[in-house]
Amino acid sequence: MRRKTWLMLVAALVAVLTLGAAGCGGDDDDGAAQGDTSATDTGGAAAEQVLRIAWGAEPPSLDPGKATDTTSSNVILALMDPLVKLNPDTLEPEASLAESWTVEGNVVTFHLRDDATWTNGDPVTAQDFVYSWKRTLSPELAADYAYQLYGITGAAEYNGCTKGNCEALADKVAVTAVDDQTLRVELTSEQPWFIGQVSHHSFLPVHQATVEEFGDNWTDPANIVTNGPFMLESWEHEASINLVKNPDFRDADNVSLERIEGSIIVDGVTRVQAFEAGEVDALDGLGLPPEEIDRLKTEPYYELYPALGNYYYGFNVDNIGLDQRKAMSLAINRKIITDQIDKTGRSQATGFTPEGIKGFDVINPNSPWLPPEGDMEQAQTFMDQEPNPKTDINLFHNDAPGHKEIAVAVQSMWAELGIKTTIKAQEWAQYLEFLGPPPNKAVDAYRLGWIYDFPDAINGLELWTCDSGNNNTNWCNEEFDSLVEEAKKTVDDDARYEIYRQLEGVMFDEDGDVPLTPIMWYTYNNLETDAVRDSFFISPLDQIDFTKVVVQGG
Amino acid sequence: MAALIIRRIVWTIPVLLLVIFMIFIMMRQIEGNPFRRTERAVPPAVQANLERKFNLDKPWYMQYLLYVKGVFTLDLGPSLVLRDRSVTDIVKEHFPRSLKLGVLAFLWAIVFGIPAGVIAALRPNTVYDYLLMFFSSIGFALPSFFVATLLIYYFALKVNAFPTNGWPLGFWDIDSRVVLPSLALGLFPMAYFARLVRGTMLETMQQDYVRTARAKGLRWKSVVTRHVFRNSLIPVVTATAPLFGLIITGTFVIEIIFSIPGIGRYFIASVSNRDYSVVMGITVLTSVIIIIANLCVDIAYAFLDPRTRTSRT
Repeated sequence: MRRKTWLMLVAALVAVLTLGAAGCGGDDDDGAAQGDTSATDTGGAAAEQVLRIAWGAEPPSLDPGKATDTTSSNVILALMDPLVKLNPDTLEPEASLAESWTVEGNVVTFHLRDDATWTNGDPVTAQDFVYSWKRTLSPELAADYAYQLYGITGAAEYNGCTKGNCEALADKVAVTAVDDQTLRVELTSEQPWFIGQVSHHSFLPVHQATVEEFGDNWTDPANIVTNGPFMLESWEHEASINLVKNPDFRDADNVSLERIEGSIIVDGVTRVQAFEAGEVDALDGLGLPPEEIDRLKTEPYYELYPALGNYYYGFNVDNIGLDQRKAMSLAINRKIITDQIDKTGRSQATGFTPEGIKGFDVINPNSPWLPPEGDMEQAQTFMDQEPNPKTDINLFHNDAPGHKEIAVAVQSMWAELGIKTTIKAQEWAQYLEFLGPPPNKAVDAYRLGWIYDFPDAINGLELWTCDSGNNNTNWCNEEFDSLVEEAKKTVDDDARYEIYRQLEGVMFDEDGDVPLTPIMWYTYNNLETDAVRDSFFISPLDQIDFTKVVVQGG
Repeated sequence: MAALIIRRIVWTIPVLLLVIFMIFIMMRQIEGNPFRRTERAVPPAVQANLERKFNLDKPWYMQYLLYVKGVFTLDLGPSLVLRDRSVTDIVKEHFPRSLKLGVLAFLWAIVFGIPAGVIAALRPNTVYDYLLMFFSSIGFALPSFFVATLLIYYFALKVNAFPTNGWPLGFWDIDSRVVLPSLALGLFPMAYFARLVRGTMLETMQQDYVRTARAKGLRWKSVVTRHVFRNSLIPVVTATAPLFGLIITGTFVIEIIFSIPGIGRYFIASVSNRDYSVVMGITVLTSVIIIIANLCVDIAYAFLDPRTRTSRT
């Protein structure tokens, strides 16, 4: 008997719970629906300054010293005030926290505003930058992006210090606070792109007292102290990040958004659905599902932005001879790839440095080896000339969406040259390990991409030096390396762009080595409602400037 | 009973040690640098600093011992990827959300699956039986991601009755957002239970003791509730433990589709990121859950079947 009662009780409990759940579901459903309509109503009439955005990833860290990815970077840039900002159109540095700067040789001096404050009221001083940059370089923090600061004299040495000499080397990092408003930086060479580079989140300051008090947890909403246009209101990991306007921000009058409500939605299809159901006003440009592009790009809310990035196929020059590389490069019909396979509006690469970068018109080699629609006839001629043709090759790519389709197209183009291509996909982390440098011997050709950290062609050209950790081709050209060194010392823009042109030439001119074959230059695509699309902008460096966003009434 | 529970708990220790050891070895066998997540090369100094910070510069047995010590002191170490957080924080924060999803999915299964099986078994080869089994075949065959997409398409985008994604974060918070994900996840166990209950009920009804009970003149209703149903539950309970373990930890697909911030996504993400400490943390968590679920099954057996009670204690 007792057991029967027990079973009955369990059954009753289950029933009550389910009914309860269903009941609550019903109630809240109504509530949510009402909430939705009222939000759209006010959004329409009074244009409430609230932006609802879908982030494509959980930011791994909101610590400027530790962050490496786009999402973290964009959230941090909303929370912080950089020394300089890049103009979204020209990519020229503009004053932000630094009201001006002077450059004398390899010494840069930033003059900070005197009205900038942290959210706890403390003034932002040059000392904050000295502390923050040395913190990022310190071996204890072990920052992934410490190398972004390697252009500063003594930075690389301190970052690589061993126990005994760390303190001495920390003092030798050439960044000093002359006074509260003057920050002096000495660089290892002239590096004319340094001012623009400082807009990167790795150069943002952190609040020393807060960091020292809370350690790794200083970025919790309860602890965080920032100095930018927005403040971190809440951060539910993997779910949401809400920012509110900082009323005490020095330039608060020019910030219209009162709130940025961010949902973290990792899956591309779910992001699109959330947008189309009216749950968010904009996505963050982190990529739309390839299978949806055809449909979405005809919609009025589809936006396309040029990006500083390059999608390329590298060759293992130890395995593939020069004439064959030229032939394989010529055989690729890039127009088919951009228009019929990728379909996101990217343009065919005619050199490595992407369009949109400063000096592009001078730098671009318009390479004879990269005709947009390919040149099969010429390709065949070069293939026939190749003294050691390799007709059975392996093409490697990582197993992310979209790469395989392009590889298959290239496979069929190369097949016309009599090359049998075996396509091999690998999981990302394994893939990077496999590519080296030096690459695994099995690699004949591989696909990779590059997204620029700062808007100067050197950031991409530097990859191809002999010692570069990103040069997976086995190609090493001393002329190229010495030109890179020369560029680092050339302050005059026009003169430097000429050197970049020569660098492109070493790779892609008539007598170039063709160690790789660029396929296309990147774009970002995004979905944005009418209310925000005029002011919402993703820069070629994948940065969103929320201070410029205004929600329009409709 | 107490002895049984204690014995089982003590047994978890060697099992856990073995699990940690195997995962440890397997994670080290796959190539890949946990500190290189983009195409950007990691300078040697940065790599060395990171390895030192996360103890990866120590010999492998030291690393193993550190992990073991961490597990038994409930300090699972820092995440190699999510730099502001520790693995213990991640588990504490995200596991309850997956647990809630799993429990709700299971409720669907129990509340609809078991009665469906009972009805089908009591009216075999009738239109009820055929209809229920038809639907359970569908539920059984359709993968959850497909069901989820259909549910979103019709109920969120077409009818607008439910949001497309999201999740009430508190463990006891329930709102409309839980309906579609839990249904999508619950459909499979629901269909599974319906078929299982139907099968075992039909089998039990052929048993001698059922005939005896009827011959004694017991009413059919009490024969079903007291003899048939209870005995049919034993295989259901047996199937529950691994299924429940799977559902509350392996909700990756549903969590991604509905953007639920649960622990499921970390199963995949941590392996592809080579986030050793997170992989270890959630593997240990899963093992513990499966062990506990199995323990609960044994206890439930004792309630349902007195013979096991005497033989096991």
